[in-house]
Amino acid sequence: MNLSLTDDQIAILDAIDTLTRPYAGATLHEAGFALTSEALDRDLAEGGFLDIGFDPDLGAISAALVVERLARLPQTVEAAASALIRPLLGDATPRPLCLVEEDKTHRPVRFLAPGATVLLVGPDRVRSFVAGPEHVRAEPEALYAYPMGNLIAQPDDRTDHSVSADDIRTRWRVALAAEAAGLLAAALDSTATYVTDRQQFGRPLATFQALRHRLAEAQVRANGLYWLAMKAASTLDAGDAALAALHAQESARTSVYDFHQFLGAMGMTLEHPLHLWTYRLKALIGDLGGRGGQALAAADALWG
Amino acid sequence: MNFEWTQDEEAFRQRLRDFLAATLPEDWERFSQHGPASPALTDYARTFCGRLADEGLLTPHWAREIGGQGLDPWHQTILAEEMWIAGEPRGGQYMNVNWVGPTLIRYGSDAQKARYLPAITGGRALWCQGFSEPGSGSDLASLRTRATRDGDVYRVSGQKIWTSYAGLADTCFLVCRTSDDRKQGISILLVPMDTPGITVRQIPSLIGEGDIHEVFFDDVVVPVEARLGEEGQAWEIIGYSLTNERLGIPRYALARAALDRAVTLLQAQGEFAGEAVRIEAAHAAALCEAARMASYAIVDRRCRGEAIGAESSSARFATVMAERRVCEFIVEYLPQALADAHPYLKMHHQRGIVAGIAAGAAEIQLNIIASDVLKLPREPR
Ligand SMILES: Cc1cc2nc3c(=O)[nH]c(=O)nc-3n(C[C@H](O)[C@H](O)[C@H](O)COP(=O)(O)OP(=O)(O)OC[C@H]3O[C@@H](n4cnc5c(N)ncnc54)[C@H](O)[C@@H]3O)c2cc1C
Repeated sequence: MNLSLTDDQIAILDAIDTLTRPYAGATLHEAGFALTSEALDRDLAEGGFLDIGFDPDLGAISAALVVERLARLPQTVEAAASALIRPLLGDATPRPLCLVEEDKTHRPVRFLAPGATVLLVGPDRVRSFVAGPEHVRAEPEALYAYPMGNLIAQPDDRTDHSVSADDIRTRWRVALAAEAAGLLAAALDSTATYVTDRQQFGRPLATFQALRHRLAEAQVRANGLYWLAMKAASTLDAGDAALAALHAQESARTSVYDFHQFLGAMGMTLEHPLHLWTYRLKALIGDLGGRGGQALAAADALWG
Repeated sequence: MNFEWTQDEEAFRQRLRDFLAATLPEDWERFSQHGPASPALTDYARTFCGRLADEGLLTPHWAREIGGQGLDPWHQTILAEEMWIAGEPRGGQYMNVNWVGPTLIRYGSDAQKARYLPAITGGRALWCQGFSEPGSGSDLASLRTRATRDGDVYRVSGQKIWTSYAGLADTCFLVCRTSDDRKQGISILLVPMDTPGITVRQIPSLIGEGDIHEVFFDDVVVPVEARLGEEGQAWEIIGYSLTNERLGIPRYALARAALDRAVTLLQAQGEFAGEAVRIEAAHAAALCEAARMASYAIVDRRCRGEAIGAESSSARFATVMAERRVCEFIVEYLPQALADAHPYLKMHHQRGIVAGIAAGAAEIQLNIIASDVLKLPREPR
């Protein structure tokens, strides 16, 4: 076992940090619910960062590292599905890649807009189509920090993919866990900074143990999630992936409410950027059956 | 990042498993239930550790200069996991090889090394750790057991509590006060337990026979040569000991093994089909694996020679979460396990419930994470 980053991985993450530095420092005041950036999306795509998973030498683990790092940015880019699932579909698949459970097409879909690839994942088949304007209704008022769209129609001719639906679901779980790991870490960071700066009763809020312990517990969860996600990306084992996604959704559920609570009324505003991470986590909590769905998948994989 | 075990690591684990299978007595599972500190297990551990030593498996992770084989922290972890999953047939001796021995080697005088090390590396020694006192648990630096210098000896008076193995130990690693300075006034004495003036009382407990004790020191005479390091050096020495014992026992491994065992039993009884039980088991497994990975991340850093600090508190708390969930799962879905139907699970329950207390309480770990990992400003004192 060797958990150090390889030289390639260090170089990739350094390059991402360099590329995203101007974006990380963006003015976030009144960013709105979701902060998107076409320029960032373009820079990442042109730099090949979202295609890393196609390179067998770098593999899904490197793609997951990229997804985790990008999720820490206040801007949202469609990276998780592209980096981890597109390699199974082929590089001709247009981005963004939108993941949809075949029997849940009534749910809002992250990044769904005309031109996006919609991947319909059923119990044992995987199909896709490129969305046209007639298939999509934008959801600009959605309470999520992703751009959301509703799927209102589907074309008759959809492409059948000869990939296993189970493999897609495994990678979906890895993608979800890696993205959630970055989101959780960034949200925790943002909250820790706020409670350190904010004074009440003559001392920083961060000196009150009621807050300290809940934040420390979030740190334990975020750290565990990071490692579970990376392990699952490395093994691409169905059980590892389900445990990682379960830990992601459970940790998102327990942490998000606390983080906003600790910001007081400031946590209810769009003036503070916390929601840019937490309201993405909220959008991940229900994927693939939510915690119960991940837990049952994990139990199947672990114990039959 | 590579999450696969190397061939060498796998072979080492297999070697340990083969050794355990060939060495442990047939009724071991029921026997080990008595707890690592019980007279039966302490006695057995002398035989077992002697055989481990013969195989070169007692201290393989010690540096070559000090009589080990210089195996890296992954091997140390594999060794600790396999022993703990097996119910810790080394009994209390795991402390010797994890931190007592290395601490003596680093800070001990030649006479102390000559006196104590052969018994440790031969698998015959049993130490106890005299740190906690009735008034000093988490706040260890408030300890009051006094060692007063009187010519060539110290006279020690005071009381220790929760001392594991004290009833059968031959030597106490005793932390006591030599001056009033809170942390710089503490010293370590290596005290034979048969010294006149020491009284040990076993405390009946929920966690197995003979585990915890009160130890009373009534004007116990200890020669100055029994002091480890300088007067007032205890805090530094304890810090060093802890770096060897940061992660402590790999509890996540037994928690996961107990969970798997519980699921197998439930399956055999046809009670693992419902969604509720399956979901709860998966939650417990996720916490076990999160704790395992958090621990492995630290082992990896140790392999690279990095200093380990507060991150180990994060791994420790992750382990507490895992132990709690597994214990709760078994109580809810396999209650007969606590009533002797399944010795292995009973053994796990007795050991599992102490995860949040022994070797530093869970809330103290959270305090450390808040201050030293999240870098939050400290609480006022
Ligand atoms: C099985 C077992 C074996 C042990 N073996 C040994 C041994 O061999 N040698 C030895 O010296 N000791 C031993 N101990 C003692 C152990 O080290 C102490 O129990 C531990 O340090 C906690 O101290 P305490 O029990 O006095 O709890 P306390 O310090 O009284 O704490 C009680 C509760 O209050 C919480 N608390 C305390 N301070 C704070 C704070 N600042 N903020 C928030 N919460 C706080 C704690 O987290 C805990 O939940 C053993 C304990 C057990 C259970």
